[in-house]
Amino acid sequence: MDLSFNIGGAAGQGINTIGDLVAQVFVKNGLYTFTIKDYMSRVRGGYNFTQIRVSDEHVHAPVHSVDVIIALTKDAIVNQRERLIEGGVIIFDESLDFEECERCHLPLPLEETAEEVGGDVRMMNAAALGALLSVLKMPVSLAENALADIFGDKGDSVVEGNVKVARTMFEEVKGELAQRCDHDFSSVENAPSKDRLLVTGNQAIALGAMAANLKWISAYPMSPSTSLFEFIIQNAQRLQIGGLQTEDEIAGLNMALGASHTGARSMVTTSGGGFSLMVEAVGLAGMAEIPIVIYNAQRPGPSTGLPTRTEQGDLLFMLHSSQGEFPRIMIGPKDPLEAYYLTKNAFRLADKFQVPVMLLGDQHLAEFSMNIPRIEIEEISMERGKLAESSDDSYKRFKITEDGVSPRAFPGDEGMVVAASGNTHNEFGHISEDPDNRNAMVEKRLAKIPRILDELEEPKVYGDEKADYTLLTWGSTWGAAYEAMQRLSQDGVSINHLHFAYLYPLKTKRLNRIWNEAKKIISVEQNATSQFAKLIRMESGLSVDEEINKYDGRPMTPEWIIKELREVGVR
Amino acid sequence: MIEREDLESPQDIQWCPGCGNFGILRALKQAVMELGYPKHEFFLVSGIGQSGKTPHFINLNGFHTLHGRAIPVATGAHVANTDLKVIVHGGDGDLLGEGLGHLMHAARRNVNVTCLLHNNGVYGLTKGQYSPTSPHGFVSKTSPPPTGVPMDPVNTIGVALIGGATFVARGFAGDINQLTQLIVDAIEHPGFALVEIMQPCVIFNPKWGWDFFRERVYKLEDDYDIKSRTAALEKSFEFGDRIPTGVFYKHEKTHFAQELQLPEGSLRDHTNDREEIQDIIDEMLV
Ligand SMILES: Cc1ncc(C[n+]2csc(CCOP(=O)(O)OP(=O)(O)O)c2C)c(N)n1
Ligand code: SF4
Repeated sequence: MDLSFNIGGAAGQGINTIGDLVAQVFVKNGLYTFTIKDYMSRVRGGYNFTQIRVSDEHVHAPVHSVDVIIALTKDAIVNQRERLIEGGVIIFDESLDFEECERCHLPLPLEETAEEVGGDVRMMNAAALGALLSVLKMPVSLAENALADIFGDKGDSVVEGNVKVARTMFEEVKGELAQRCDHDFSSVENAPSKDRLLVTGNQAIALGAMAANLKWISAYPMSPSTSLFEFIIQNAQRLQIGGLQTEDEIAGLNMALGASHTGARSMVTTSGGGFSLMVEAVGLAGMAEIPIVIYNAQRPGPSTGLPTRTEQGDLLFMLHSSQGEFPRIMIGPKDPLEAYYLTKNAFRLADKFQVPVMLLGDQHLAEFSMNIPRIEIEEISMERGKLAESSDDSYKRFKITEDGVSPRAFPGDEGMVVAASGNTHNEFGHISEDPDNRNAMVEKRLAKIPRILDELEEPKVYGDEKADYTLLTWGSTWGAAYEAMQRLSQDGVSINHLHFAYLYPLKTKRLNRIWNEAKKIISVEQNATSQFAKLIRMESGLSVDEEINKYDGRPMTPEWIIKELREVGVR
Repeated sequence: MIEREDLESPQDIQWCPGCGNFGILRALKQAVMELGYPKHEFFLVSGIGQSGKTPHFINLNGFHTLHGRAIPVATGAHVANTDLKVIVHGGDGDLLGEGLGHLMHAARRNVNVTCLLHNNGVYGLTKGQYSPTSPHGFVSKTSPPPTGVPMDPVNTIGVALIGGATFVARGFAGDINQLTQLIVDAIEHPGFALVEIMQPCVIFNPKWGWDFFRERVYKLEDDYDIKSRTAALEKSFEFGDRIPTGVFYKHEKTHFAQELQLPEGSLRDHTNDREEIQDIIDEMLV
């Protein structure tokens, strides 16, 4: 079973609610889901849709072809129709003037039922859900459970109303209407998935930060990073995490640096334009060796670009952000589960090496949701790296050590005087223009890089180690590329997939090996200039053979990648 | 007790002979000694400028940050450890140019930090360009000839008051006793305290020299009401032949860290409750 739904309409019509409902129904039934929300940068109107993929096997990406459309406006039919498979279902309100119906296109009294049976137009969601289950020949009890769960805290009458509406629509469609369509999932009663945690990348990163003992977050709202910040703030009291929506991103990062320097594990969340404002303070973190986790949910730029869409266009900008030379760590999670663990590690690495750690998400990772296994919080991760022990007056915050990492003390530690500076300083943290000191300090900081490399994981190879073609990806494009690789392998193509989560500093051992073995390396990036391929060339001298790029702001699908691969001769 | 030797400059002082910053540093040291808190509880955060070098010239916890950004750094430091007495040093360019927005917002938040604004009416470190407090007509390399600075200066005291600062004062680098007392009171004040300090830059703003201020500064009268914000605002416009000094306004209310209801003391020592995180996760289970 591999089904995809598109639920479309205008902003403000409750598409997200239907989407959440549908996803929950299937997750509860033991299926794997993958949901993306495609929306415009406006609060009301326009045309938006949610795509949900449902399968009894793991799913990792949106797809192009759609099995079912649920349309709340005519646009939602027209805009998606060419994606609908033959014999596909369209469920829409009968008031929409859409005449060219085929066999399984169902004009239904969604709105009327919501009003007459439930007494509230907003219950159209439940009506659509009832109809959907009927068409798929799944039991209506699935909707009943989900509605009880979702609306439970709004009171019994709301739940009852919704259930009644769903059931009425279910009965109305059952029989003749449902028989018109070929779908039959009555057997998918107890599907295999036990993964019940339905999360987005932003939520997973927030959970990772909490588990890493985040104590301070300061941010300025900017899509698509905002939901992460909101999630943490909403739970801040429960965990006693301090947080503030600052006057701007400049204050956001500087404040977080103040908190981190004083001992609180800290992070900032932003998106490209906001990160631009933070750049000077990234250098301050570099010079004063302050651990910090910076999350950039990338969106297409330059400038304000496409606010609600996705891109991987900030990689080289972040790599080179701030003047001067200093070490940093860059990490790009591929999906929510990995994002949770990588975020925990980001905080650990920041403390261990006293450097800025950049988490490169993007709108796609930030907002797609999937069900993953329940995350078990084992321990609160508190590895703080080297801490100063002695308490005498001669504490050197920037003591020169072999590995470049100086034992940390915090302002407020008894018996210590902790001095630091964004100017070039001596071991005590006081300004120095001495050329020998300058060299020693530059070298001390850069000495961290080999140690950092020791701690980072090698990229992963999916598929056969040896293959003619290798797809090269980083971050959130993993899902579409992985599925493309799988489908092509099934078709007999000799292809594998090399994927990077740790982006910089760059591990080159496995990379070199793969380069030696593959006939053709093909980079797949959600940007126009293959930035990661450039980074690889810069660090290793190795070039890719072909570049596949998508920069229209929409996430990749496996079909799209396959089409592009065929065009560059992959057979 | 902190002795003067404990505070001795870790570095050779790099200010020009005769610079007003010496007086400010003396008053700061005096204040720190008078306050009687343990030495490790003080934390100086500075911006960039001649004033920004202050933490290098006194043996206390210090962080010399970026131009204009000392206030957000100080805010983060204070919330991370509310036991700290966080003191910001910045120039008029630093705090009223690059940093004006941060100053206003910190005042509005009533963050419990003390902000010492070294006002010499000019950019010292970058050698004499006009600053946000340079008088209308002030001639510098960056003011259009022949008219000089084509706009009025920032009213520092007024800005702080409008921002919402709960302790607003002005001192003079040539009156160490008064300045010491103002710094002591500002640090003791549980909220955002701004002290504007008139500071001669003998090199780039000779017009605002020692005598200029000595002839003009006077202490606010005994019957001046420090509880009235409107009176303070009116007073803030008096800056010319007579320059008032002393506390313009003082008012106590909950400060920012209290509003946030953070754990007392240092956040470093606080661990997120594991079970609570697990609950947050489990509430998301479908
Ligand atoms: C972002 C940034 N812009 C400009 C500078 C250059 N700069 C250093 S100090 C300064 C002005 C200092 O004037 P003020 O704050 O009044 O301090 P003073 O030196 O007079 O004490 C400037 C413009 C800088 N360091 N950083
Ligand atoms: S240039 Fe002016 S402000 Fe700077 S040290 Fe000299 S006198 Fe002081």
